[in-house]
Amino acid sequence: MKWCVIFFILVIIFSASNMFAQDALKKQFAFAKNLYASENYYDAITELKRLLFFDTYSQYTFEIYELMGKSYKMGGKFSDAILTFTDAELNAKTIQQIYQAKIEIIRANILRRTTDRALQLLDELANDKKFTSKANEINYWRGWALMFADKWDEAAKSFAKIDSCKQLQNLAEKVHKDKYSEVFSNLISHFIPGAGQIYTGNYFSGFLSLGWNVLWGYVTINSFAANRIFDGLVELNLLWLRFYNGNIQNAQNFAKEKNLIITNKALNYLQFDFYGQKP
Amino acid sequence: MKKTIFLILCYCSILIAQSVDQQNEVNLFSPPNIKKFADYLFCSHDYLRAALEYQRYLSTNHNDTVSYKTAIAYSKIGNYSKAAKLFASIDHQSHLFPDAQLEYYKALFQDEDYFGLRNDFINVDLSNQFVLSPRDKKLFYFSYLFTNDKLPSENKFLSHFEGTDFQRVKDFYSWKEAPPYKSSLVAGILSAIIPGLGKFYVNEYSDGVFAFLAAAALGYLSYTDFKAEHNFRGWVFGGLAAGFYAGNIYGSIAAAQIYNVKIQFDFVNSLKVFLNAKNYFIPEINFCR
Repeated sequence: MKWCVIFFILVIIFSASNMFAQDALKKQFAFAKNLYASENYYDAITELKRLLFFDTYSQYTFEIYELMGKSYKMGGKFSDAILTFTDAELNAKTIQQIYQAKIEIIRANILRRTTDRALQLLDELANDKKFTSKANEINYWRGWALMFADKWDEAAKSFAKIDSCKQLQNLAEKVHKDKYSEVFSNLISHFIPGAGQIYTGNYFSGFLSLGWNVLWGYVTINSFAANRIFDGLVELNLLWLRFYNGNIQNAQNFAKEKNLIITNKALNYLQFDFYGQKP
Repeated sequence: MKKTIFLILCYCSILIAQSVDQQNEVNLFSPPNIKKFADYLFCSHDYLRAALEYQRYLSTNHNDTVSYKTAIAYSKIGNYSKAAKLFASIDHQSHLFPDAQLEYYKALFQDEDYFGLRNDFINVDLSNQFVLSPRDKKLFYFSYLFTNDKLPSENKFLSHFEGTDFQRVKDFYSWKEAPPYKSSLVAGILSAIIPGLGKFYVNEYSDGVFAFLAAAALGYLSYTDFKAEHNFRGWVFGGLAAGFYAGNIYGSIAAAQIYNVKIQFDFVNSLKVFLNAKNYFIPEINFCR
């Protein structure tokens, strides 16, 4: 009887200490979450690493990697975030956790601008029968990946597949409509110097370019007409062709600049004024 | 009955051992756990976090190995001044002192504090605190290759190097003694005599050919235009030719200066690569076996 009492006391001590250990890990996780919530990402990662080190029974492994990945992401360390989310995926215990980790990897890839990889992962998810119920979410992130890949028309199509995404669909359609065609700008500058600049709204630069080309064209042709072949060749190479080529390049650069302004405006809106889910 | 008691006792002792172990594990911030965690971070190359954890440990405990590892961690993340300070704080009695001393010199070296390094060496040598081995003196001599101070004599310099290092260090020494710099004055004069020749002198052949052709073509155009009494065009091309000519002289002087900076940069780079490959002549202690 005496031995039984001792035995039970020891069992209670053991269980209590086990509970304390559990409690310490739980507290540590809450501490790390607090640090993350207060935007102390570096410290949050340190505390999560500590928890990971002492969590010998791997009770929190998925949650640790997930939060650590988010901390890296918030700190702008997208490659580290992707590696950590991959660890989370490897330690996932449920299908939902695998899906969660994959989506986080996709979101980090979008922010890292490795949109090709994000789209590849989205295709894998879409083709996986386990995730057929997640079609809307997959299309949503595909839309974001396409916007970051500067494929606004395709992004609009992806958002159109989701009923509740009219706002993003309209935005993507508008950006696509507003953007200038770099190819067209380049092409018309070949035929009429300055036309590409005028197409992108840079009228002064367009007319100036036209003026220079007319002037040096006239001087060059005049030289050839007067049989001053060497003069003509030098004027053609050093002056006329220089301005002609410069005009083509300039037209394309203007289109690029204008497009950058349009897309940056849209991305700025998404960053600061859009209240839905973001990568 | 006795057998049952014995079994219960065995089980109880296992439980007690587990309980004690878990009690220790519970406090994640106890000094032994901080050290354990810091060691883990150190071995996973997360040096900044490791250094901070080691320092947390050192705030309540004294341990030379931990101080040494903290300094190594700081050195790995490029905080050489802090590393040097910590290496210098290792006690003379510690078995790590000789290595810490070398690491201290390495940290000063990496911090580019060559004068501090040499002063310290000379002071230690004079004070006879401990005997500097030829290996220790390698860094001392090597520091001269990074500064513009007068080099020690070749024999004295090279006497500390042997084997495969010897020839390499000898090449470095020769380079430093007579660097193959190009004179910017010569480059300018050459370009003034024949446009583009200065560029050839600094090994920029294509630039040299282009400069020669451009100046010659524009000069010729100016000449023929003046000859044909197209004075306006003659002045335009003459002005352009003069601009090219002057620009070429200036460009050749600049190219010589850039050339010198480049070879100096390459020299310092190759010194650093050599030193890194040799780990600054210091044996590395592996704490993560």
